[in-house]
Amino acid sequence: MSRAPFRFPAALLATAVLTPAQDLLPKAPPQSRPVLLQNAVLHTVTGGVVLGGSLWFDGGVIREVLPADRQPTLPAGVEPLVLDLAGKHVFPGLVSACTTLGLVEIGMVPQSVDTDESGDFSPEAIAAVALNPDSAAIPIARSNGVLTAGTFPRGGLLPGRASVIRLDGWTNADLTVRAEAGVVVAWPANQAGRRFRRGPERGADGDEEPERGVRQQRQRIDAAFAAARAWLDARTADPTVPLDVRHEALIGALRGEVPVFLLAEEQEQIESAVRWAGERQLRAVVVGGRDAAQCALLLRERAVPVILNGVHRLPRRDDSDYDEAFTLPARLAAAGVKFCIGTGSDFSNDRNLPYHAATAVAYGLDETRALAAITQDAADILGVGDRLGSLAAGKEATLFVASGHPFELTTTIDVAFVQGRQVDLRNRQTELAKKYRERLRQLQSR
Amino acid sequence: MRVRPLVATFGLLAATLAQEPPHEGPRPVDPGWFALTGARIVQAPGNTIEGFTIVLRDGRITAVDRNAPPAGATVVDCTGLTIYPGLIDPFVPTDVPALDKTAADQHWNPAIQPQRHARDGALVPAADRAALRRLGFTTVACVPTGGNLKGTSCVVQLDEPSPTEPVRVVRDAVYQLASLQTSRGGYPSSQMGAVALLRQTLADADWYARCLATPGAAPQPRAALAALANPDQPLWFDVADELQALRAVAIAHEFRRRAVLVGSGMEFRRLAALAAARTPIVVPLQLPDAPDVGSAAAIERVSLRQLQSWEQAPTNSKRLLEASVEIAWTTARLRDRKDFPARVRDAMHCGVTADEALRALTVMPAGLLGIGGDAGTIERGKLANLVVVAGELFAEDGEVRDVWVGGRRHVIHEPKDRGLDGTWSWTAGWPRADATPVLTVDGDKVRCKVGDAELEATAVAREPGAVTFRLAGEALDGTQAHWLRLWREGTGLAGVRTAPDGTEHEVRATPSEAKADAAPAKKPRGERAPPPERSPLPTPLGGYGFVTPPPARDFVVAGATVWPCDGREPIRGGAVYVQGGRIAFVGVVRDLPNLPVDVVVVDGTGKHLTPGLIDCHSHTGIARGVNEGGQAVTAEVRVEDVVDPDDANWYRQLAGGVTCVNQLHGSANAIGGQSCTTKVRWGALHPDDMRFAGAPAGIKWALGENPRNANDSDRGSRYPATRMGVEALIRDRLAAAEAYAAERAAYEALDPTERARSSPPRRDLELDALAEVLAGTRRIHCHSYRQDEIFMLCGIAKEHGIRIGTFQHVLEGYKVADAIAEAAVGASSFSDWWGYKFEVWDAIPENGALLHAAGVNVSFNSDSDEHARRLNTEAGKAVKYGGLPPHEALCFVTRNPAIQLGIADRTGSIAPGLDADLALWSADPLSYAARCEATWVDGRQLFSLEADRAARTAIAAERQRLLQKVATTAKGKPAREGDPKDAYWAAEDLTGNYCCRDHAAGGVR
Repeated sequence: MSRAPFRFPAALLATAVLTPAQDLLPKAPPQSRPVLLQNAVLHTVTGGVVLGGSLWFDGGVIREVLPADRQPTLPAGVEPLVLDLAGKHVFPGLVSACTTLGLVEIGMVPQSVDTDESGDFSPEAIAAVALNPDSAAIPIARSNGVLTAGTFPRGGLLPGRASVIRLDGWTNADLTVRAEAGVVVAWPANQAGRRFRRGPERGADGDEEPERGVRQQRQRIDAAFAAARAWLDARTADPTVPLDVRHEALIGALRGEVPVFLLAEEQEQIESAVRWAGERQLRAVVVGGRDAAQCALLLRERAVPVILNGVHRLPRRDDSDYDEAFTLPARLAAAGVKFCIGTGSDFSNDRNLPYHAATAVAYGLDETRALAAITQDAADILGVGDRLGSLAAGKEATLFVASGHPFELTTTIDVAFVQGRQVDLRNRQTELAKKYRERLRQLQSR
Repeated sequence: MRVRPLVATFGLLAATLAQEPPHEGPRPVDPGWFALTGARIVQAPGNTIEGFTIVLRDGRITAVDRNAPPAGATVVDCTGLTIYPGLIDPFVPTDVPALDKTAADQHWNPAIQPQRHARDGALVPAADRAALRRLGFTTVACVPTGGNLKGTSCVVQLDEPSPTEPVRVVRDAVYQLASLQTSRGGYPSSQMGAVALLRQTLADADWYARCLATPGAAPQPRAALAALANPDQPLWFDVADELQALRAVAIAHEFRRRAVLVGSGMEFRRLAALAAARTPIVVPLQLPDAPDVGSAAAIERVSLRQLQSWEQAPTNSKRLLEASVEIAWTTARLRDRKDFPARVRDAMHCGVTADEALRALTVMPAGLLGIGGDAGTIERGKLANLVVVAGELFAEDGEVRDVWVGGRRHVIHEPKDRGLDGTWSWTAGWPRADATPVLTVDGDKVRCKVGDAELEATAVAREPGAVTFRLAGEALDGTQAHWLRLWREGTGLAGVRTAPDGTEHEVRATPSEAKADAAPAKKPRGERAPPPERSPLPTPLGGYGFVTPPPARDFVVAGATVWPCDGREPIRGGAVYVQGGRIAFVGVVRDLPNLPVDVVVVDGTGKHLTPGLIDCHSHTGIARGVNEGGQAVTAEVRVEDVVDPDDANWYRQLAGGVTCVNQLHGSANAIGGQSCTTKVRWGALHPDDMRFAGAPAGIKWALGENPRNANDSDRGSRYPATRMGVEALIRDRLAAAEAYAAERAAYEALDPTERARSSPPRRDLELDALAEVLAGTRRIHCHSYRQDEIFMLCGIAKEHGIRIGTFQHVLEGYKVADAIAEAAVGASSFSDWWGYKFEVWDAIPENGALLHAAGVNVSFNSDSDEHARRLNTEAGKAVKYGGLPPHEALCFVTRNPAIQLGIADRTGSIAPGLDADLALWSADPLSYAARCEATWVDGRQLFSLEADRAARTAIAAERQRLLQKVATTAKGKPAREGDPKDAYWAAEDLTGNYCCRDHAAGGVR
């Protein structure tokens, strides 16, 4: 592999602002002139791989994606920035479909964790509201090509509403692609058989309790939607009915404008959640999906997509296939279930998103499909597939240039654009490395 | 309850009456002299005699002979019955009050109460006495419950005590009972802590005994240690599972104690190792509940191991017997003691013979309890403990009639009175002359018919020689009831009928010619399903174990890209030849030496061969608690005591090319437990077989937030609470260890006569380990994050002249790489994990590369069962972040951890003479495209995709067979999820594991 450093033309470098403390970096201004990427391998996702193709964007939007033999029709009178990317690859920004990015700074410092509103029912909570645009985690995810994320509140039965964010901007308004991407529903797992033995002193009496509890919790979720429906009907008929922010939070889901994100891993959990959503006429998306392959019939029939909670997971049982989680994406693809791949982890691991997809490839998933699972398919499931997820005219110019395929560890991400603005690929960690490399240099030169 | 020893002489009454309270009224005299005649006598297992009379007098058997019953003896006719020796249960837990905590002479740990005595408790409560006798038991050993050393047992007769006749003790203080249980919130909080506590206490007892024997030493009296001072008293272990059983054997062996195991019933899962342990086992007969197969969701949760355990548990006793393990049976752990005969029948259905069953209940327990001279067989001079049975003992239709306990008869089942049985015709007393009713008596059943009409006989009651009942029906007198009482008179029956009007009428009946109405034929009992196959089981039990371990065959991998990990770049078209489990050749194919014709050739074309990967920070396979959180310093606990070879993660890690791990204690303690360098010898018969023999010893230390308890939500007041305290504590313990080592050295330096005159220094397991650290023979593996704490430990190490083994995690290592290079063998880090807590705020993925550049030996580890399967790509991140050459990056998970663990001369690279620990990959191992295709440990192929595929097919078939079997045969309440090895024993909340990744997973919740 060639590890020769890639150098961008001075013109481009001039647009990047260099300061050592990355998280205090100013953002680039909105795109002011067209950028033409030419002579690259374009991994369009929706339009195949274009060798030696070119692409240009202006005003933050991709205008043309062209094969090698076609010339761009650039607007007259503006000098475009032209990048010759011989040997380079261009990808749409990766989409980490389910994370807590922006809501958490340090996992174990509760004051820095903004994911869990109190109580079981807090659909009024919207992730985009609490995003910290200066979170150190955002540039870290971004530096490996993750430019879009679905960020999810957690905790309770209805933790809140997930938001789709772009990983660059001055304010959380800048970051927000879609504030209300869907209502998160933590569908409880049936606890039958889930009791670990504690010795004979725990009698059989308590055994039935978990199952009953789960039934009640599921009924409470249903009741919340029923109440919201009733409130909405009443308020539609009579606008003097007072506002209820919790009910209001469910309107989008009740009208089918946004999905419900059903957090469910087990077969019974997934199937009961999907059936429930069907009865309530809600658009279902399963998040988790450990047992999704066993639910393929229902998921396929009802066209319910799945956000997989990571590929790097342990098998369910001692006797399960060791690679059960690794092969799950390939099995879902074969079964005709729509899915995308998440990290199954929190805000600090989004940069490893491409490696989950890469593992799925090693264990049977088609590589193109795997790339789609962290780009277009993820964008579709989050409801932003018309704006993000592929290299196509009309889409946001949120993309990156790399030395190779992002599935490979040896690949470097050389430059990235969010809405046509070049973003800084350094982060707190790269700057710390630089700082202490200097200490090492000083020690070694003594 | 008062207790009186049962003196083995005939002068019993005379010898002891003096201690009894005066009688009220005249003294009762009970000659206690019986002759049991006519029975079939099972004198001992395998020895049945007929035509003999057993004579009992004063509680003992005085004769078993063909003579006529002696004059004066009360004759008990046992014709048609069988007499067995009284059964013995060697393990009946009994409540004994805890020792007074405020008393001066207590062990510091409340779990150590060996001075307790079963005698001081309730012994066997009346209901249990009766229940045990009903099963045929005459003698039991009572033992105190609770704690790690619980106290001594006491063998008693299952008598009914009275004010003048208290419980009769057969033998006192027979054994001391130990267990490896944990205590909630205290020490030990983990199984390894329990092992350490037992070992330390036994060492203390030995030391105490030596002090007592040293003239002039006069140690302070210690009741707990004195109670353990007799090395001849057997040490029984109440164990929770088969692995704990092996651990108990090791402890007993170390301290030269005679061990007996009170097992779990799951011994068959580690049969070979237990057979080799040559330790008697008291086997409970409780079976695991059938797994829940009620729904598709439920069967998804049932593991094959759980199904196999359910199916095979009834074969446990037979398998142990076939493996020549001495077993006794106990009723302990049964959910309901009444199930005991059924469980015995289950065992017999699986092949245990009647003689073997009887032996496990008589001769064996008698021997284990040292009461073979008094009990276990029917012989002259022994206690008059007998079971009189109609039919076979434990047979479904067998019935215990009498149980004789020390010559006293306890009637269990009266024989049915057959004196009125037969068919009788009424000759007088029937109210209607036109009818000839026929009466049939069969035990306590009465039927009455007139012609074809059946009358209703209700309220039938038998009295000796008579029967009373009510009769009503159309054929008699409408529906009005008549009362009848009949008795035998001559050849017929006579009696009285009380009519509804109150008049009484004489009744006569003569034997009838009419054939007795055949009672409705008993529904034939369903044919019992055949017993499960008793073919050899895989080790470990479950889908991926081996019935026969893969052989260590010589083989050659040819044509692969070989990564030697010895500084050289990968060899394209390489070959590796393995002979006798060692690497014999590494090079290019054309340089291969001449190979034997039958050598196995593995085509490596297009593939990559690397050393087996080494995980320098693992918590895989540590049973029942990764962290002994009960104290801030736990250098005495050892991971090697709790290696769990059953953990399925071993197999999964083999599938990720891992062949060796550093099993580390958790990080809740500034000075934690001893680590264990382990080879992933999946299928090992004994947990100890997984240990990397000859690897340098290690110990876990921890700095920062975890030992100072900072991340514990219900943080207590345990020292230390700051990094300052961590430092002070470490300094203090090293100073203590220095003094300790000096004291021991001084004692060793004494000449033999002087040494004999002085009491030895007490052996302290904690300080032993720290003295080894100071001596440089035990490597510190120190959990650390921030540069200040790393610096601190480097300073302490320098001060004591210690070279640190590794800094673990060491996420700020890059800031002080020079100090680490000087003070430690290496640094073992995560590739790119960060963000989970405050002290990792400055973690960077370039850490590994920067440390490497500073000359530090670097490894990347998993600290996670999941990540452990992907160490190859973790190493790849050293290429991504820091630009290491690939062959140097791979060393982060091969040669470098081997150096850190001091085993680089044995494994971690591919060089002649090294162990053949190898992994074969489908592609560049640093790429996510690579799949591990085969893994060898010591030249044995323990994983391959091919074998894995075959296992999957077999698992699918076996699962379906067993799920069907449960669904169609199992009765009763289904079991809940969880390994049945936990069935009997509280698996406490093992909190405070402090594995970083685990915390990370829970961190955002």
